[in-house]
Amino acid sequence: MSVSATRFSVSTSLNRWFGQHLSLAIGAGMLAFFIIMAIAAPLIAPYDPVVQMADARLQPPSLSHPFGTDNFGRDILSRVIWGTRIDLQIAFIGVVFPFIIGTMLGTIAGFFGGLVDTVFMRIVDIILAFPFLVLMLSIIAILGPGLTSFYIAMALVGWVSYARLVRAQILVLKNSDYAVAAVSLGFSRMRIMFRHLLPNAIAGSLVFVMSDAVLVLLNGAAISYLGLGVQPPAAEWGIMVAEGQPFVTTAWWITFFPGLSIVFLAFAFSLLGDALGDLLGVHE
Amino acid sequence: MLKKWMKIGLVSVMTSLSAGIGIAEAAGVLTIGRREDSSTFDPIKTAQNIDFWVFSNVYDVLVRVDKTGTRLEPGLAESWAVSDDGLTYTFKMRDAKFSDGSPITAEDAAFSLIRIRDNEGSLWSDSYKVIDTAEAADPKTLVIRLASPSAPFLSTLAMPGASIISKAGIESLGEETYAESPIASGAFVVKEWRRGDRVILEKNPNFWEADRVSLDGVEWISVPDDNTRMLNVQAGQLDAAIFVPFSRVEELKKDPNLTVHLDTSTREDHLLINHSHGDLGKKEAREALDYAIDKKAVVDTVTFGLGDVANSFVPKGALYYYADNLQRPYDPEKAKELLTVAGVSNLTLDYLVNAGNEVDEQIAVLLQQQLRKVGITVNLQKMDPSQTWDMLVAGDYDLSVMYWTNDILDPDQKTTFVVGHDANMNYMTRYENDRVKDLVAAARLEMDPAKREQMYIDIQKMAKDDVHWIDLYYSPYINVSRKNIENFYQNPLGRFFLEDTVKN
Repeated sequence: MSVSATRFSVSTSLNRWFGQHLSLAIGAGMLAFFIIMAIAAPLIAPYDPVVQMADARLQPPSLSHPFGTDNFGRDILSRVIWGTRIDLQIAFIGVVFPFIIGTMLGTIAGFFGGLVDTVFMRIVDIILAFPFLVLMLSIIAILGPGLTSFYIAMALVGWVSYARLVRAQILVLKNSDYAVAAVSLGFSRMRIMFRHLLPNAIAGSLVFVMSDAVLVLLNGAAISYLGLGVQPPAAEWGIMVAEGQPFVTTAWWITFFPGLSIVFLAFAFSLLGDALGDLLGVHE
Repeated sequence: MLKKWMKIGLVSVMTSLSAGIGIAEAAGVLTIGRREDSSTFDPIKTAQNIDFWVFSNVYDVLVRVDKTGTRLEPGLAESWAVSDDGLTYTFKMRDAKFSDGSPITAEDAAFSLIRIRDNEGSLWSDSYKVIDTAEAADPKTLVIRLASPSAPFLSTLAMPGASIISKAGIESLGEETYAESPIASGAFVVKEWRRGDRVILEKNPNFWEADRVSLDGVEWISVPDDNTRMLNVQAGQLDAAIFVPFSRVEELKKDPNLTVHLDTSTREDHLLINHSHGDLGKKEAREALDYAIDKKAVVDTVTFGLGDVANSFVPKGALYYYADNLQRPYDPEKAKELLTVAGVSNLTLDYLVNAGNEVDEQIAVLLQQQLRKVGITVNLQKMDPSQTWDMLVAGDYDLSVMYWTNDILDPDQKTTFVVGHDANMNYMTRYENDRVKDLVAAARLEMDPAKREQMYIDIQKMAKDDVHWIDLYYSPYINVSRKNIENFYQNPLGRFFLEDTVKN
């Protein structure tokens, strides 16, 4: 790759930057939109998301209810807005713990090799041998339905991908010149692992975080759809889709808007993941 | 990963669609869509409506329930006589044949009744323990001696579980083969059973009322998804569909090609209360729950106004239903007062919900909101239906909604099950009242209908007073058929009269 030395005016370079990073801009913009919506939910939601209005049941989208109402007379728009809080939380917590656990274990396995590596990687193989959703469902079935169980199940199952990614990088990097130099300088193993190797090995995982967030979000919605995640009457997109399913041919708006929100949030994460990959020079 | 799951989803959608498509059939074959497939054709080994509703068109019984669901009429028994002490029943058998052409004798009838009482796999043996002996005096005469007088006895003979099967047939074929492809005593014979998909019946030419049957055959087709099943009828791929969701009735009524049937049923939905759990043992607390629940709102929201608010565990229109039974009005203030009187504060209840059951989930969300208004916190626990039943039996719940449809026209069966202090802890409520218990036992023996009715009225009053559970609503059977189908009817006990159904 050749680096151009020519100086551009600020506006041209901004244009160019956005041209190259269009997906980053759109993805970040969409995510920001959802985050603002989640934070401002009490201010912008026109109605209480759980209050039932018996005389306003199954109303199609209108001025007073832009997204319509469900079979209990609850305002869909308000529920979608409040649902953003839960779904963002699902995407965040559902990714953070697997990321931390997976990165730690992957680093240790890759750095030490030998028996430690063998043990960790066999555990990874065992977990990967089960279909992902089946394993999740059985853990949640044991722990009882609810979001906490979902997070625990995610943490127990989701870390394996991160562990594999990081380990592979560490295996390569630990033989690089600067790592060998650090060893010969007598630095502690901890310092070499986490200060020298990990920052260089983590780029792939960071990109994967974004695509993983999509999967976690869809899983969370699926688990709630099956009645094992968020419990009613809380507003969560997956559960809203489930609750609206019986009415899908008569009142499409109950399932349509929360479904659309899932699609948009997932899309935002995908775009961000793409852009991050380009920026960090990671190609999946 | 995601792709794989999407593929699985797509494949299952495709298969369910193609199940609907291959249905175009020869004239005279009625196709009916339902939520699930049969589980057996052995009449004693199931308690599911889904099986019973097919049995009644494959098997005949000694005594039938009529179309109104309130009277008994002769079936395979042409007539009967009861001895003065009420212990001996003598049935005169009709000239009738099984689908294999062999005659249906008193011996087959005796065999069928002894089998439901004694067979290890029978789910109904308790209900038939009252039979002491059942013997064929001659091929046309069946004599049954009871251990004690029993008012509901005749009506238990009409239950599909007591269907008459061929003694020689089951002995030569073996129970398992018979349960797959039985020898029929009713209007239709099982031609083929594609497990998990459909039951294919064809007209039984040897049926004693064969003249009455106009259809060449019937196919009970399993289409689990409600939306798909309705679309199949609308598109003409099915002639009829049962289990129409409440939410679809208005829309289907507008379709000029369809007839929506709202047939009176004996279904009652109720809220179980676990009396053994802390404050729920106090009558005031249970009364407070009853006042706090707006049943009219449940009827409006969940049944779209198609149900009726219930006031007794005996369903409306069933024998000995007490129409003037107490109906506690919706009164949140009174509920709060009662909770104060009982010294109950910060009541928190675990409400067990059948996951995936649309109606159950809707009721749960409604009741949760209503009870919150009187300061009761309700935690919804969604569980797989296979688990909820075990949890109810173990007493691992505070509240849960269940429903019941009557299997026999006599109220004894449900009354025993619900307040008779039987083996099931009064339908898992752990309700205890010895006066009710004694009255239920006495009503079973009382042969004078007027006195018996009074006893059932007293039972209904006392149970209501104790708030043994909370009656929510009665709802009809909702079915839909194409306009060219005539006489598609289900009686309150769930029997379809397919022998009268005509496909034009």
